[in-house]
Amino acid sequence: MLSLRQSFRLATPVVRSSRAFNTSRVFLQSKSVVKTAQSLSEVNGPETLIGPGAKEGEIPTDLEQATGLERLELLGKLEGIEVFDLKPLDSSRKGTMQDPIIVESYDDYRYVGCTGSPADSHTVMWLKPTVNQVARCWECGSVYKLKPVGVDTGDGHH
Amino acid sequence: MTHLERSKHQQFPFHMVAPSPWPIMVSFALLSLALSLALTMHGYIGDMNLVYLALFVLTASSTLWFRDIIAEATYLGDHTIAVRKGINLGFLLFVVSEVLIFASLFWAYFHSAMSPDVTLGGVWPPVGIEAVQPTELPLLNTIILLASGATVTYSHHALIEGNRKNALLGLLITTWLIIIFVTCQYIEYTNAAFTISDGIYGSVFYAGTGLHFLHMVMLIVMLVINYWRMRNYHLTSSHHVGYETTIVYLHVLDIIWLFLYITMYWWGV
Repeated sequence: MLSLRQSFRLATPVVRSSRAFNTSRVFLQSKSVVKTAQSLSEVNGPETLIGPGAKEGEIPTDLEQATGLERLELLGKLEGIEVFDLKPLDSSRKGTMQDPIIVESYDDYRYVGCTGSPADSHTVMWLKPTVNQVARCWECGSVYKLKPVGVDTGDGHH
Repeated sequence: MTHLERSKHQQFPFHMVAPSPWPIMVSFALLSLALSLALTMHGYIGDMNLVYLALFVLTASSTLWFRDIIAEATYLGDHTIAVRKGINLGFLLFVVSEVLIFASLFWAYFHSAMSPDVTLGGVWPPVGIEAVQPTELPLLNTIILLASGATVTYSHHALIEGNRKNALLGLLITTWLIIIFVTCQYIEYTNAAFTISDGIYGSVFYAGTGLHFLHMVMLIVMLVINYWRMRNYHLTSSHHVGYETTIVYLHVLDIIWLFLYITMYWWGV
């Protein structure tokens, strides 16, 4: 029960602008409702990842109760989508400078553990392709190129 | 989901725990408990005050730690499938270590029981020891424990099927069965004709059954927490790691009790 305030903090919509007295009355009387996302496409920030909660007197299901990252994962599973990229590195071929292996990243770099093609041809070599530079394995020569898919948050990636 | 939206959420499924004071607090509380227990038992400390203090600090800090874990799991949604797998594996490894502790105590028991020393009169139980008979309270306790295994399964299946009333009822009965078990053990200990300091028989008997007793006390705490969380809608039909680990714990303690009963209450009497 003590930890309820954690979820209240998450659930409270943030008022970003200050308002004059009379307009703030209007604002306070119009209740802004954060809608719970029913599918991945409706997810819009962490506030939409709070479940409706259990029905009174019933055992809740995950879909009713799960919040946060757990709920994001669950919504993905329901649509057959893995929201976490845990696939192994593409080792079906050797990347070349003309045709590198593309590695997606939400940051401006990503660590890659190359074991050659086919996989486990050599011991793991840790490489770091960045937005500016491809990485090339010094064992087998496979080339990895970063494909930034994230959005620059303006915090210098920290 | 767009890349823009995806970039607002953590990319990996694991839970990077936030800095917390509780691990170091619990560590020092456990150190205090071990030291104060050892010093009290060996007569270097004349009273139990330090033991009680250490127990209080341990209870308080672990309660606050578990409060944080419940907030992270139930309210913040940090426990993805990968995190749950890790917690489950961690608990299973803990259970393995528990089994090994009991294995060492069984070893100690058999070491003395299978070739009784001449100072014991060459027999087991030693001359002058009035052992607890297997047809007394221990038999009732065995029945109680086997029954608790059935009622907890009843509760678990009701939870999975979404039957709140039966899930709560099964868990309530289970909790009371374990409370009765612990009470019976307490009655048996206080009425036994030998103590832990009477010699090797008392030492290995109370070390083995006493450690099991302490585990059952802990199991009551775990069952009560699960009852509270079930009542408060924390446990869902498919996500209840705390309950699952408690059930594993109960069954393992059940099986250890059967071995204790067969060896220390039956074979060795």
